[in-house]
Amino acid sequence: MADGEIKLNSSPPRSHRSRYSVSLKIQALLRSIVSVVVGLSLGLLVTAVAGENPIRVLGILAKGSFGSVYDFSMTLFYSAPLVLSGLSVAMAFQCGLFNIGAEGQLTASALAAAAAGIAWKQSFGLNLGWVGQSTGVLFCLFAGFLAGAFVGWIPGILKAKRQSHEVINTIMLNFIVTSFTSWVALYWLKNPDSQNPETAEISRALFFAPAAWAGGAPLSYALLLAPIAVFVVWWVIFRTRLGFEIRAVGANPDAARAGGISVERTQIIAMTLAGAIAASVGVIEVLGNSAKFKVGFSPGFGFTGIAVALLGRNHPVGVLASGLLFGALHKGSGDLDFETENVTRDLAQILQALVILSVCAEGLWRWIKWKR
Amino acid sequence: METLITILESTLRVSTPLIFAALGGLLSERAGVVNIALEGFMSIGAFAGVAIALFISGSSNGSMIGVSSYLGFFLAGVAGAVFASFYALMVIKFRADQIVSGTAMNMLALGLIPFLNKIWYSSTGNTPSLEMSSRLVLLPTVLAVVLTFILQWWLKKTPSGLWWEFAGEKPEALEASGVSVRAVRWVGVLMSGFLAGLGGATLSMCLSSSYSRGMVAGRGFMALAALIFGGWRPIPVTLACLLFGLVEALQIRLQGVIAFGTEPVPVQFIQMIPYVATMVILAIQISKKRQAPRSLGLPF
Amino acid sequence: MEHFSSKNLPNLTQNPFRPQLRLKLAVLASFTLLLAITSYANAALKVGIVFDRGGKDDKSFNASAYKGVLEAEKQLKIELKYVEAQDDNAFESLLRAFAKKKFDLIIGVGMSQAEAIKKVAPQFPEAHFAIVDAEVAAPNVRSLLFEEHEGSYLVGAIAALTSKTGKVGFIGGVDCPLIRRFELGYKEGAKKANPKVEISSNFVGVTSEAWNNPPKAKELAIAQYQSGVDVIFAAAGASGSGLFDAAEEKKKFAIGVDSNQNWVKPGLILTSMLKRVDEAVFLTCKDAVEGHFTPGIVRYGLPNNGVGYALDENNKKVLTADVIKKVEALKSDIIAKKIVVSDFYTIKK
Repeated sequence: MADGEIKLNSSPPRSHRSRYSVSLKIQALLRSIVSVVVGLSLGLLVTAVAGENPIRVLGILAKGSFGSVYDFSMTLFYSAPLVLSGLSVAMAFQCGLFNIGAEGQLTASALAAAAAGIAWKQSFGLNLGWVGQSTGVLFCLFAGFLAGAFVGWIPGILKAKRQSHEVINTIMLNFIVTSFTSWVALYWLKNPDSQNPETAEISRALFFAPAAWAGGAPLSYALLLAPIAVFVVWWVIFRTRLGFEIRAVGANPDAARAGGISVERTQIIAMTLAGAIAASVGVIEVLGNSAKFKVGFSPGFGFTGIAVALLGRNHPVGVLASGLLFGALHKGSGDLDFETENVTRDLAQILQALVILSVCAEGLWRWIKWKR
Repeated sequence: METLITILESTLRVSTPLIFAALGGLLSERAGVVNIALEGFMSIGAFAGVAIALFISGSSNGSMIGVSSYLGFFLAGVAGAVFASFYALMVIKFRADQIVSGTAMNMLALGLIPFLNKIWYSSTGNTPSLEMSSRLVLLPTVLAVVLTFILQWWLKKTPSGLWWEFAGEKPEALEASGVSVRAVRWVGVLMSGFLAGLGGATLSMCLSSSYSRGMVAGRGFMALAALIFGGWRPIPVTLACLLFGLVEALQIRLQGVIAFGTEPVPVQFIQMIPYVATMVILAIQISKKRQAPRSLGLPF
Repeated sequence: MEHFSSKNLPNLTQNPFRPQLRLKLAVLASFTLLLAITSYANAALKVGIVFDRGGKDDKSFNASAYKGVLEAEKQLKIELKYVEAQDDNAFESLLRAFAKKKFDLIIGVGMSQAEAIKKVAPQFPEAHFAIVDAEVAAPNVRSLLFEEHEGSYLVGAIAALTSKTGKVGFIGGVDCPLIRRFELGYKEGAKKANPKVEISSNFVGVTSEAWNNPPKAKELAIAQYQSGVDVIFAAAGASGSGLFDAAEEKKKFAIGVDSNQNWVKPGLILTSMLKRVDEAVFLTCKDAVEGHFTPGIVRYGLPNNGVGYALDENNKKVLTADVIKKVEALKSDIIAKKIVVSDFYTIKK
């Protein structure tokens, strides 16, 4: 086993679709749902400690995340980056690599996309036909993906060639990227119209305005990148040869090598892809939310993405579901500050943690069954 | 020469929380349990230390202020261990995935602390401050260094220390010889909670005078990095922590220095130095690469 | 389970309108009516405030704003609700939630909320908004701006005049234009008081956690003190407490910021660069209560005591009369426009 390789409980191989295996899957899904409910209930009970009525807190959460068009749109708005960073982490985990660097990858991508948008504005002005607009958007997308992929590639190649542990390198890169992008934003691309630490605005023609039906939430069609990415990642991992190789290396690198797969090459590709996926978060932010790069725009999407991926068991569809759950909790808990005296939005963290713990306490089910 | 001493002082100060946390992680991981949750354990310790010290000195009307800091420090470790016991329950008893559970514990700590902070101190930002007399100065650093040597000796030279070696490398053999692998792992995880808790308390009671939101700021992960860097052996791990501390101390003094031309090097680049240095050193590290304990991450 | 035994439950078989119950209901009804009448008559102004990252207990910036609304609550009998935002996207949600709940005055603290206010204010034209440290041009928004550079100039002079080593220091939170504004004013004031002064300058970090990182600030301060600096001015929000710890341990001077922080370590805090956010917020509430809320920019600088340096029993022993005299002279010069303090916001690179 290579240095410090952290082994994960990998999922069982895909058996042929017999009735037996389908009912097993349904059982697993039911177990997960029950666990989510248990986790949420435990968390709500915790609010009783703070002197609040748990049912009321649940009501606030539900209303805050789904109660109106605006609320639901905001939930989707928060979910998209969570799903995307979850996909990024999941992609790396499928290859047995721990991508803690999604935060750095999405930050680099946001800056690159913003820089591209500003350059486009300076070269072509503001009057663009739809051909100019599409090309501009593609240009920004390309810049963002390239930056994110690059930041993902670095730990990948260091792992493959020098066996440097990706946990350390990704964490280090997060800090490095944050410092570097800060400097670029403050000294090269500074916004002349504001004193905030941010870049100038990109060409407005490239910006995806919020959808009119979203009730005022900054939900734009740029966020469609999230479901698209879910599909693409699913297809790559489960329907292509590359995906097979990634999973093989993730399950057992020695066996994969024996089977003729180049472990190093696969690891590099997986990390680079993970970086590119995380880059989508940065692109969405610039093209669909703020039209510029703001220092510190991400409330830790890259880190929450880890939890999203783990709860979704590194499967794209699971990541989609858990991303939505996390997004809903993030939005719903925002109103807690308002409606209660002692419970703040940090409750979302507690709920998320308890949900994850419940889901992975599967051994508990077995233990209970065994005890009987 | 004076600058050298001050840099050394600063290094020791800054590295101490890392050393505690890394050594705690070592005890857990050598026994075979991955510990991603060091960050959470440190946070709990940092918060608990201040809260307990404040409680003791407050409820005794200031009379127990001297003792309050030591008690607070020690009990912070205990708090960390209690928090870690949930993690141990999840991964040892219920055989849950260790990375997932560890991440969840970190998130739990992240949410629990402001929650309690709000109830007790009516704020989600900082706790109130400790008086100067109830802050710690040298104790943590001395303890950390002593602990390093004790662990190095204990792991290599005593039977119980060797159990750790086996629990991580060949748990079947250990079980066959009559020692419960699970018990060893439990102790390892509890100790990691205790030591990481002490590390966190050092941060809030020695390097600072209160707990502020998010003050651990990734040090738990830096400790993990030091652990991997140091090949899971106590003295190299501590040296790795000191290295991180040294680079940090240098970085502080390099801010504002004029390297090229007349403008000083941008502060952001100076702040990058410790991290770039880590990556570079890690990359050029050639032989003498230590393997992780073979059973690391596998439930028993 | 005792509580739920049958003897504690209301007896539902009896006539609910029996005499004693009727009396109780009557009292309750009239009380409620009275409450409704009085509350309608008073119709207290509902004020909502959204704090910046760092929360209301940062002892400096947000704390100052909090002090202002607390004062308004006490004196003007407003109905106050405060929230703390944890990330940038939350500002908009919180401001919007206040507006939807028909709050009369909604205050955003900090320039990071400017965009959110720009978006939300036009959607709720009947509500009044105020923003601290940024400019938002809208018919229902009042922008509260402070001339930090002028206040920093004065404390820079104080630092240079008090320093025995001729070395003073500055610790900023994040390298951003606002903090550079503090720094530039400070440097100019110090140089004016002592042309040969040496100024060390550090930043705590690059992300928003820098506003909440006392250990790092303490290390930076210790490093500065050890290089000979004996007065340090910190503009780093809650991280400033790290500076104060270092000052206490090394027995050197520190200068506080935003709120009057002289009380934190009496005798060691030379002075504090006051940014009267509390005053600004209180006056805005007062205007709203009295019905003459005006939009537009309100500047708080030296002439109207919007910024300044703090002098109270905690530091009167260390701030000598001689220094005060010189600084007051500088202050009058600035007000009279004889001295123009450079504003980082307006100088072109």
